Amino acid sequence: MDYYFTVLSTLILFTAFLLIANKRPDSYIKTFRAQSLLLALTTAIMGTHNLFAEGHYDVMVVCLLIIILKVIYIPNLLQKTQANVAYVVEKDFFSSIPLLVILCCGIVAFTYFTLISMEGMDAGPVNIQLVNSVSVILIGLLFMISRKRAIGQIIGLLVIENGLYITGIFATHGLPFIVDLGIFIDLITAVIVLAMMVFKLNDEFSSIDTNKLKKLRG
Amino acid sequence: MIIKVVAMLIQIILIIMLAPLVNGIIKKVKALTEKRRGAPVLQMYFDLYKLLQKSMVVSEVSSWVFRVTPWIVFATSLTACLFVPISSSLLPLHFQGDLIMLIYLLALGKFFMTLAGLDTGSTFGGMGSSREVMISAIMEPALMVSLFTLGLFARSTSIPQIMLHMQEQGGMLAHPAFILLFLSMLVVIIADTSRLPVDDPATHLELTMVHEAMILEYSGRDLALMEWGAAIKQLLLITLLVNLFFPYDPLPGAAGMGFVLLASLGIYIMKVILASVLIGLIEVSTVKFRLFSVPNLAALSFILSFIGFLQLFVLGR
Repeated sequence: MDYYFTVLSTLILFTAFLLIANKRPDSYIKTFRAQSLLLALTTAIMGTHNLFAEGHYDVMVVCLLIIILKVIYIPNLLQKTQANVAYVVEKDFFSSIPLLVILCCGIVAFTYFTLISMEGMDAGPVNIQLVNSVSVILIGLLFMISRKRAIGQIIGLLVIENGLYITGIFATHGLPFIVDLGIFIDLITAVIVLAMMVFKLNDEFSSIDTNKLKKLRG
Repeated sequence: MIIKVVAMLIQIILIIMLAPLVNGIIKKVKALTEKRRGAPVLQMYFDLYKLLQKSMVVSEVSSWVFRVTPWIVFATSLTACLFVPISSSLLPLHFQGDLIMLIYLLALGKFFMTLAGLDTGSTFGGMGSSREVMISAIMEPALMVSLFTLGLFARSTSIPQIMLHMQEQGGMLAHPAFILLFLSMLVVIIADTSRLPVDDPATHLELTMVHEAMILEYSGRDLALMEWGAAIKQLLLITLLVNLFFPYDPLPGAAGMGFVLLASLGIYIMKVILASVLIGLIEVSTVKFRLFSVPNLAALSFILSFIGFLQLFVLGR
């Protein structure tokens, strides 16, 4: 089972890399959907294990919530938002994509050397799972600060959340149910508010480039 | 000695005969996903047969480079065939370092192809050559890093030994990092065989073509040799991919020699068909990139292979 988790964490890291190499908001949303699907798969494996070994079914409920919210609802909402705002094909990122991808490689190495110097970390596959999942958090952060338009930044936030969740699940093999539920409610509120903000931004500035917010002054 | 010659013959004949089939399968997959009936799977054989009958038109201003290039492309592809065993019971040629030999044999063919594109002085040819050189230069690091990572894992730079070692370790299942190496090599192969996100194989006389632009001036027998050489190169790269990452074929010595050989050839053909279907599906699900977006793909592929290397040799320790 540990092997499957390592494979899945590697695939989730791969989707994070794919995300940072994407250029268009449509493909961000597709990649995010794929990443959430992998997340749901990881949770499902964990959930079945918990169900049969210990009789807890709460991780399965969380898996269902992930499928409904992160695989279906949030990407659809973002796609609808994206379809309704003014779409201008323009450069959406601050520095070139090859540079960002190479920075991500640096992030993975940095995460490894940070985690290896912590007390109580055991070597082996568990370590690689944690390295991959913590890297996903930091790559999400880099993605968020590297995009100009609001949709990309929302996706960055969601990827950070995915990374946090996957780190939690690899470290503890299932967080308490109430914590997961709280995070999901937070997340759904945040995404709905952000989607509305994107509409507002589009109405005011006829663009969703967040840099234009600076023009408010004076 | 005789066994070796027989092995070489089986290998070369199989690869030459199978190569156009891969193109046919990819085209058929594309047609079926687009709800067309499409050309028959064997269409490329008919095309090659027809082209071999026809006479050639050679430009007056071209030099000897233009005339020898089809032979060089075909011959380098054929020589490269000998280094990629299609089954572990057939080992035609192998020595330490044949991995590097293989890559540079293919690069030699590519070098002459770009020269021939420049030779006739047509604008399309020159454009195609410069693009081809750019793409292969930025894709090379990813291929090198992933192949040498496999080499380091197997402690050898000989393809058959890497293949045997991968088979002992369980192929792709040996370590999760191999998924990253596999994806990286898949990207390189798609770029090297002029497939869709990088180059469109179905286009003629458009400003976006790369490989087709270089062979635009060829006709008749020369064109047949160029296209056949490209098809052989594509099959070689697919063979390298499936045999390094999924080397699940029966080892010699288990049963009778002939039976093992037939079984492993059957498995090999299955693997090639699956890989062609995969490439066809990738082709229908992507659009062609702008030329200046190709470095993004190359960077992604290189970094994936590099992280695979890190996970195998640095982080996994």
